[in-house]
Amino acid sequence: MTHTLHRTGELDTLREDFPMLTHVARGFNGQGAGPRLKKIAQTMTKHTDLHFGDCKVGNKYTMDPAEIMEKLTVGCQVVFKDKDSLIACMKELKEIDQGISIVVSGIFEEVFDCCQKAGLTPPLIEFALGVHGNTQKLWPAEILEFVTMCGHGLVSGRLVKKMVEDIKKKKSNVEKAAIELAKPCLCGIFNPDRAAKLLKKMVGQEKGL
Amino acid sequence: MRINQEKCIGCQLCGDYCPVGAIQYFQDGENPKTKKARIDEDECVECGVCFRAEVCQPQAIYRQEIQWPRSVRLAFSDPMVEHKQTGVPGRGTEEMKTNEVTGRFKRGSYGMAVEVGRPGVGGRLEDLEKIAMALAKIGVEFEPKNPVTFLFADVKSGKLKPEVRKEKVLSAIIEFLVRPEQLSPVLQAIKDISPKIDSVFSLDLISFPEESEKGPALKVVKKMGFPVYPNGKVNLGLGKILNK
Repeated sequence: MTHTLHRTGELDTLREDFPMLTHVARGFNGQGAGPRLKKIAQTMTKHTDLHFGDCKVGNKYTMDPAEIMEKLTVGCQVVFKDKDSLIACMKELKEIDQGISIVVSGIFEEVFDCCQKAGLTPPLIEFALGVHGNTQKLWPAEILEFVTMCGHGLVSGRLVKKMVEDIKKKKSNVEKAAIELAKPCLCGIFNPDRAAKLLKKMVGQEKGL
Repeated sequence: MRINQEKCIGCQLCGDYCPVGAIQYFQDGENPKTKKARIDEDECVECGVCFRAEVCQPQAIYRQEIQWPRSVRLAFSDPMVEHKQTGVPGRGTEEMKTNEVTGRFKRGSYGMAVEVGRPGVGGRLEDLEKIAMALAKIGVEFEPKNPVTFLFADVKSGKLKPEVRKEKVLSAIIEFLVRPEQLSPVLQAIKDISPKIDSVFSLDLISFPEESEKGPALKVVKKMGFPVYPNGKVNLGLGKILNK
């Protein structure tokens, strides 16, 4: 599916948000792919520790990442907050050459720049052409920035509002709240670093960062 | 999903986790000071988020036995569940993710997807049917391996099996191939059907990297007033055929 597509928000926050996924091609390279996926997952998580998971298994905030790696059969996901780490990871994935597809989402010009620096030539891309229908039912833009970080729609807009309230009431802090929001995203593409920055903005703590 | 009323202590911690707001609180007859949680089963999409959140101390949240056609809610809402009836795991297919291996999308056509219920709203499959029927009239080719295709009573018309039309899911995707001459009619059909949809839907276009410059498809898309996000998905081209 298209779960890393359709992330919304201000360009400055999208520039620090790069979900990466690996996925087997069933019938072509899926048979016995576990060890290859584990090697890819180890490489990915060496370069980013923000999130990691697979929707058929679970994510790093709900189970041990080592256990997740042992159970991978079709793919896994991580998310990056900066281009340098992403480029380093891309280069290493190219070197280890496991033959399983890798997809990166983000602002096109930034992702293409990373590809060029890593010596990769992307063969295919996917565009998001907006949201249509009864758009009055959508969450407000500032909530959608969180909600769209989980393409399966598992992060509730109500939970975002609750986390904002909890921070304001000092029942939680931005870091804890960002992790709480990342937990329902089974795949591991929700970006808690970006979420923390967005939460700070929402509760008026963004100054002095 | 259901909540065992005898176990629920009315702490009200679960409701905020529900992506579709299906958990409501009601006055408890025995103890008027307590508001216990109940799940509106018509609104519940069976995503399992409330259960997995592990915020229910008395473990009152549970998944009941689910039969067809309600089982489609599971398949299109809980990514951990594989759907026996459709035979396809998940909500969509590998689409562009593995294209350098499968060669599914080729130059000369575009891959498109309409995802009903996304982002963050959820939707009834009858909305999906309206869109599918509008697309079918143009003669688009629905992806045979997409789980939605298994729900069609008639794939030529886009009509769904009647028993699934009212089922609510977090999202369901129609994937289809479009020839260049079909792109304008498809976009027009989407524009025309949009006001008749009760939920929301997102729209995607799969193409080749040169499209990001001044490609013909994006020219049509923009001319017809559709937005093109500055961010999207990029296949890095690292996949190979490994199993003979």
